Amino acid sequence: MLHRLLVEPFALPFMQRALIEALLLGALGGMVSVFVLLRRLAFVSDALTHTVFPGVVLGYLVAQTRGIVWGALLFAVLSAVLLTVLSANRRVTEDATLAILLTGFFSVGVVLVSRRTSYTADLTGFLFGRILFVDRREIVETAVVAAVVLVALALLGKEFLLRAFDPDGAAALGYRIPLLDLALNVLVALVVVAAVKAVGTVLVIALLVVPAAAARLLSDRLTVILPAAVAGGALAGWLGLAASYQASVYHGLRLASGATVVLALVALYALAFAAAATRRGLDRLGWLNRPAPGARAST
Amino acid sequence: MSTAAPLFADAFSRRALLEAVLVGALAGLVGVHVVLRRLAFFTQAMTHATFPGVVLAALLGVNLLLGTGIFGVLAVLAVAWLWSRPGAEETSVIGVVLAAGFALGVTLLSAQAGFTRDLSSYLVGSVLTVDRADILATAGVLIVVVLVLAAVGKELILGAFDRGALVALGYPAGLLDVVLLLLIEATVVAAVPAVGTILSVALIVAPAATARLWTDRLGRMTAIAVGLGVFAGAAGLTISQLQNVAAGAAIVLVACACFALSWLFAPRYGALGRWRAGRAAPLSTVDAG
Repeated sequence: MLHRLLVEPFALPFMQRALIEALLLGALGGMVSVFVLLRRLAFVSDALTHTVFPGVVLGYLVAQTRGIVWGALLFAVLSAVLLTVLSANRRVTEDATLAILLTGFFSVGVVLVSRRTSYTADLTGFLFGRILFVDRREIVETAVVAAVVLVALALLGKEFLLRAFDPDGAAALGYRIPLLDLALNVLVALVVVAAVKAVGTVLVIALLVVPAAAARLLSDRLTVILPAAVAGGALAGWLGLAASYQASVYHGLRLASGATVVLALVALYALAFAAAATRRGLDRLGWLNRPAPGARAST
Repeated sequence: MSTAAPLFADAFSRRALLEAVLVGALAGLVGVHVVLRRLAFFTQAMTHATFPGVVLAALLGVNLLLGTGIFGVLAVLAVAWLWSRPGAEETSVIGVVLAAGFALGVTLLSAQAGFTRDLSSYLVGSVLTVDRADILATAGVLIVVVLVLAAVGKELILGAFDRGALVALGYPAGLLDVVLLLLIEATVVAAVPAVGTILSVALIVAPAATARLWTDRLGRMTAIAVGLGVFAGAAGLTISQLQNVAAGAAIVLVACACFALSWLFAPRYGALGRWRAGRAAPLSTVDAG
């Protein structure tokens, strides 16, 4: 039964490719999501998923599908730099700046797309992705990005953590905080660029936020959160694809694969939430049953 | 000039103009609180989390505003509840609700036949097709927002600047938070027909953020934000009629252009003003010495 649900769908070549892509992106997103959580970059991630849109459109106009990644990369870096520059004005808080950048860039993309005939299909593909249609080249691209991010985190992970927990300490040690921030933003942008074409913006923002948020509910320790987020991201990719396949093939219900993966992620979050609440409840009962430390002293 | 067709001559575009002006005023008014409270990400999340309501309303054939309104309230309650849990981190809670809501909408949409149909108009708005009911709904939301802000606006502002004082004075701070979140949600919902789910956040945040570059006074900031919202609505619509581009995107780009210009040239807080102040500072210390 379980075999039919979770393994059989992936006998088909296109499902195998989708699975590899989903596992890669799930693990990659889960890893980066820990830093997104620690540095509170959820909104930055969301903004980046939108600001690459004009780049995707321009890249496609200039060099068809081959240009998408480069256009997206250009606009991701451009928006990361613009964000840093605009944040210099203290009158406007970073979140307002982000919202304006996000919608402004996105509008440029919409204006560019609205002059094309296949307007709606383009927009839909960008938002929801086409993970079932990923080819070998895209998987290789994702793997390369994953390798780059891994190397960068191996080199700079400690610095990112120090900057997250003790920015003053990091500055005192001589680290250039704005450069570290820019580096992390660019890493997030890389994940967005790697994922946007295959899985769409909806899935990217979920991958960059939910795995670590769920893992954080289960533990305070980074050594637990990081592997749990990576495993959770990959697991959700697998379960979501399997569920979407089951629904379409056996129940005649078409479910967008990318969005189903997100719903699997959200289900994992809900499970983690329930587990945390249960543990707190049991803790409290435990306090009732055995004497609390210090209780003896007060009586 | 006589050869060009007069702008806003037909009933469609006059209704569109009225709707754009109303939405602009509403967005400017609520935007002040969004900017002062740093709720831009929450607003962005609302625009995505109401998406299942859009899809369900289209599937069941009920009013769009009803569907988005119900899902918006659900999203507000989810955010408020998750925020109140121990150890919750605000931005990641918003991110989770955003992703969950939008993914639910996409899944519902894909289950229906004709995956791509009519979607873009919800995402980027179609102000030229608003009907009398949309305009009445926007006007209704505007009236409610004005009344609520007249009643508890001062308390909301106090909460933005000094939450501790608000609690100490005995106000129900948590309830006031939910009221504000609901106002924002109602504004997002009202703006959807005109500028769509994704771009409504710009119309809410950009005019208020621009106003903050021009003044320190709250009353003036509100007036400027409302004025800019109305201006962005009317000017964007005009541009879209002249140049044949998507109206929602044109409105947003006008609002963003106002922000960019003010960021550069606002007298005291613009880049130019700060640069001149930076140059003047050493002189003034010499004077003082």
